[in-house]
Amino acid sequence: MVVLKPFPDPKMEQVDYPEELGITEAIMGEETKQRINERYRHELNRGERFWPDSIFKDLIVSLGIFVLVILLATFIGVAPDAKADPSDTSYLPRPEWYFLFLFKFLAIYGQIPLLGKIEWIATVIIPALAVLLLVVIPFLERNPDRYYGKRVLPIAIMGLAVVGMVILTLMSDVPTVTLEGSDLPGILQAVAGLVIPGVAVILLFLMSFAFKKASTQIMLWTTGTAALLMLGVTGVVLALAPKAETTEIEIAQTLVDQILAGQDLYAVQCTECHGDDGSVTTIEGVEGLEGKQISAINGHDVLYTLNDAAMSEVIAYGRPDAGMTPFGKAYNPEGLTKSEIDYIVVFMRYMWDDRFEIPEEALKPLFPPLADGEVPSYEVHIQPIVKRYCVSCHREGKENNNYWMTNYEEILTTGDNVDNNILPGNSESYFLQVIQETPIMDPENPDEELIGVMPPNKALKPNVVDVFTRWIMNGMPETAEQAAALFVAPTPVERAPSGTPTP
Amino acid sequence: MILKKLYNWLDERLGLKGIYDNILDRPEPRGNWWNTLGSASLFLFILQGATGIFLSVYYTPSPDHAYDSIQYIMDGVAFGWLVRGIHHWGATLMVVIVFIHMLRVFVTASFKYPRELTWLIGVGLLLATLGMGFTGYLLPWNQRAYWATTVGTQIAGTVPLIGEFILKALRGGTDLSALTLQRFFAAHIWMLPAVLAGLIGIHLYLIIRHGESHLPTKED
Repeated sequence: MVVLKPFPDPKMEQVDYPEELGITEAIMGEETKQRINERYRHELNRGERFWPDSIFKDLIVSLGIFVLVILLATFIGVAPDAKADPSDTSYLPRPEWYFLFLFKFLAIYGQIPLLGKIEWIATVIIPALAVLLLVVIPFLERNPDRYYGKRVLPIAIMGLAVVGMVILTLMSDVPTVTLEGSDLPGILQAVAGLVIPGVAVILLFLMSFAFKKASTQIMLWTTGTAALLMLGVTGVVLALAPKAETTEIEIAQTLVDQILAGQDLYAVQCTECHGDDGSVTTIEGVEGLEGKQISAINGHDVLYTLNDAAMSEVIAYGRPDAGMTPFGKAYNPEGLTKSEIDYIVVFMRYMWDDRFEIPEEALKPLFPPLADGEVPSYEVHIQPIVKRYCVSCHREGKENNNYWMTNYEEILTTGDNVDNNILPGNSESYFLQVIQETPIMDPENPDEELIGVMPPNKALKPNVVDVFTRWIMNGMPETAEQAAALFVAPTPVERAPSGTPTP
Repeated sequence: MILKKLYNWLDERLGLKGIYDNILDRPEPRGNWWNTLGSASLFLFILQGATGIFLSVYYTPSPDHAYDSIQYIMDGVAFGWLVRGIHHWGATLMVVIVFIHMLRVFVTASFKYPRELTWLIGVGLLLATLGMGFTGYLLPWNQRAYWATTVGTQIAGTVPLIGEFILKALRGGTDLSALTLQRFFAAHIWMLPAVLAGLIGIHLYLIIRHGESHLPTKED
């Protein structure tokens, strides 16, 4: 076994370096080395044992870190994100946070006139120099002084470098150019991140070498002032920065969430052609695809012959020969993301593929059933129904007599027939007639349908029609509270008194 | 009695006494809390190794399955969310602790004679740790990961003359693909950990050989 010798090793001290080489002299004199070793031995004598004294401290700190990691993992966790989508070029790339300072540095550097065009100076030369500087530190600083007071210059430079990294990280989200095209934030960022520390470092060097006798105090003041200025300008940059809009991306984490997300997406994107149960074989009422023969997508033909990846691809890339339009972002900036397409596939599998069993929770009803006399509201009942059955066609860019249904306002106030469409308390409202399979005929041309039955392919279930009827007959309340205020207690039915209370 | 015998049997073969004398029962300068950051980094390395090994049981390094396999770890595996959370936050803390450790060594000038080599190895460890962060970031194969790596490798591609080669070597082709994920995975679980483990071994040997430095006073 190799016996490890703790440092003050008497044998080592006696090694005679060949003086004629002059190497040791050049690096550090033998005498200095001996003084350092002597000094260290002295410290060891009044020190502690590695076991158990030092180990004890190490264990406490490591335990503290372990607890911290577990707390962070439990209470903050890992932010969910959508699946990688190479076609989504609008995504704003952001590196892991500890590379943000470099990222920002590159952005600031890029706006320097002329020099900024030579990208590799910032991407290669400067980082390489920084690493090289770290590597050669022990050979740059060859004097044996270790006390802080004797090393003001290196500590001040390192301090400024660290403050610089911190402020670049803080500013990383602020663009260098405002929306109005002003360069001001970029200039301020360059001042805080490059100019002030650069000037300070030059001053510090001048003080140490040109004016030999510059006092420690002045150097510390310079460093402190520079650091405060850097932080101050950063504060200004952050204060001027427009509030970043945080777009919440919804990520379906559990299988049930994915199925429900897929169901909503299917209802909006696919129902128009494929019907709400995927059984349509002849497209009706869709501009440009009228009468197109397609295969049902809820049967074995599709579900057994295509795997998930193939189904995702059909949705993303479409089938031009079969009339299927591409839905992926590659073809349509407003299109579906990879994750969203995956949710639709998951929904189709669990809903229609008989080899998969849909979890109970995914089958919860679209809206809570209504009690006798209860009035439905837009937010609780109408919205999910409309999203499932109507929005697929009744939104911008579709052929729908300009009747859009994506929110409460639109449902009540849009459409070519808005005057007769939804009339509070009127059962003759066009809306209620067409969903009960009574088309509206054109008064000027009684042979022509003004509005066909809705939805065109498949009648709504009676309980859905009931919800719409009650909603319109009671004046279309928007919120659950408004609806509850309209609640009419059903007239109590005369009943023979009985001893058992009804459950 | 039996324990004593067992100990003697092991000692004869392993040289436990020698290990104790040379590694554990060493004199150290009077301790201070800043000197615990090195061992804290080592602890985090081991923690990352342990959780990483667990994650590799379920993780699949292919564009088709990477994202879903992590969804499964988060949702389907008992305490998978915790293990992944620890690995995620452990990485962040490791970068922070390693960096502060470096600052401490710099401020106390512990890199000076006779510990210059320990510092050099330490710079290697810092770079390897950042490399772990860079390669590990791609593995979840989500939007953040994909686009950050696209830009990161692009930056590496700006090196004059050999940039094109570096870019292709990193990505395994002109674009980010299954090959990129595969080689980042290999680097993350085999190459860089091997480098780290080797450098940590040398680093520890040097620390035991020279002892921890003492906090400098006016005499130094």
